[in-house]
Amino acid sequence: MPNQATRYSPVAQTFHWIIAGLIIVQFVLGRLAEPLPLGVHKLSLLARHKSVGMTILILAVLRLLWRLWHPAPPLPAGMTRLERIGARGTHMAFYVLLFAMPLTGWTMSSAKNYSVSWFGVFTWPNLIGKNEAAFEFLRTTHDTLSGLLFAVAVLHILAALKHHFWNRDDVLVRMLPFTKTARRSQ
Amino acid sequence: MKMPMRLSAAASPAALMISTMMFSSASAATYAADPASSRLEFTGVQAGAAFKGVFHQFTAAVDFDPAALASARIEVTIEVKSEDSGDKDRDDTMRGADIFDVAHFPTAHYVTRSITRTATGFSAVGALTLRGVTKDVPIEFKFASAAAGATLSGTAELKRLDFGVGRGDWKNTDWVADAVKVAFSLNLKPKT
Repeated sequence: MPNQATRYSPVAQTFHWIIAGLIIVQFVLGRLAEPLPLGVHKLSLLARHKSVGMTILILAVLRLLWRLWHPAPPLPAGMTRLERIGARGTHMAFYVLLFAMPLTGWTMSSAKNYSVSWFGVFTWPNLIGKNEAAFEFLRTTHDTLSGLLFAVAVLHILAALKHHFWNRDDVLVRMLPFTKTARRSQ
Repeated sequence: MKMPMRLSAAASPAALMISTMMFSSASAATYAADPASSRLEFTGVQAGAAFKGVFHQFTAAVDFDPAALASARIEVTIEVKSEDSGDKDRDDTMRGADIFDVAHFPTAHYVTRSITRTATGFSAVGALTLRGVTKDVPIEFKFASAAAGATLSGTAELKRLDFGVGRGDWKNTDWVADAVKVAFSLNLKPKT
């Protein structure tokens, strides 16, 4: 198929790298805030964590919509069936977590009766009423999913590096801006 | 005003007292807020998002006759530790030394000094004592006579740091706003 794109489009690349950067910010803010006692420092870190998280949720909606109309370029032909399932599964897990992380965070804030502001510009509605048991459950879920997200991200990065340095295909380069796909994709 | 016929006919001591108050209410309208149906709430802004709290325990004594504002008076005493913002962690923090310091300042007190009529209701200037600091806070309110008493509801706005509510890190107003809105709705019963 000579006309089929072999690279991710600039729009897909922009979504990928902005969201990737924001997720790193989220890990740092979340880990810094978690052990702190309730105070101004914790509030300020969590306020930013929530604002960035809601930004990721908005981007995830836009990215999913965009992705539905713009399929990813095909995987290299040489990949085994297992590798294809792994790649597909990892990407699916990312999309699920892109929604699950902010939604569990938003709901857990609601359950704790702390409304979520978006950078002080406006306040999101509470998804559920005050519920301490729901808060504890959602906090555990949010925390567990963050560990899962970390694991999936490590797998994703290792796979990209393996494709680049071991298989010497264009799987990594086709997501990098300002590059040209010089290597064979088949 | 419609007479409370059923109450007088009941002839119980309480009913007699109420009907006595009804007869005398034209000259001295003194009321106390019914604790169960009255409400005193505040709205703060934390990290850009509003949060509401209430004081469950407070008493209000009101002398109010719209025709005799010079002698009208509203006095409220609040048990600060009854503050409830819907989250235990936040409430524990707010009751602590750096915010309300309820151990040293268990009650807050408000008493009006002058009440005037406005286009939509009434406004009053009064002294609020909170965390040991006394400062004037104006309130806007409406007053309506009801069959068995009256309702008095309104709003106020104050700056928490005027009263030292927030020491140390909590002086920061980027994450906890200085301005706090207060809303009250008092269900007044004739004082016995």
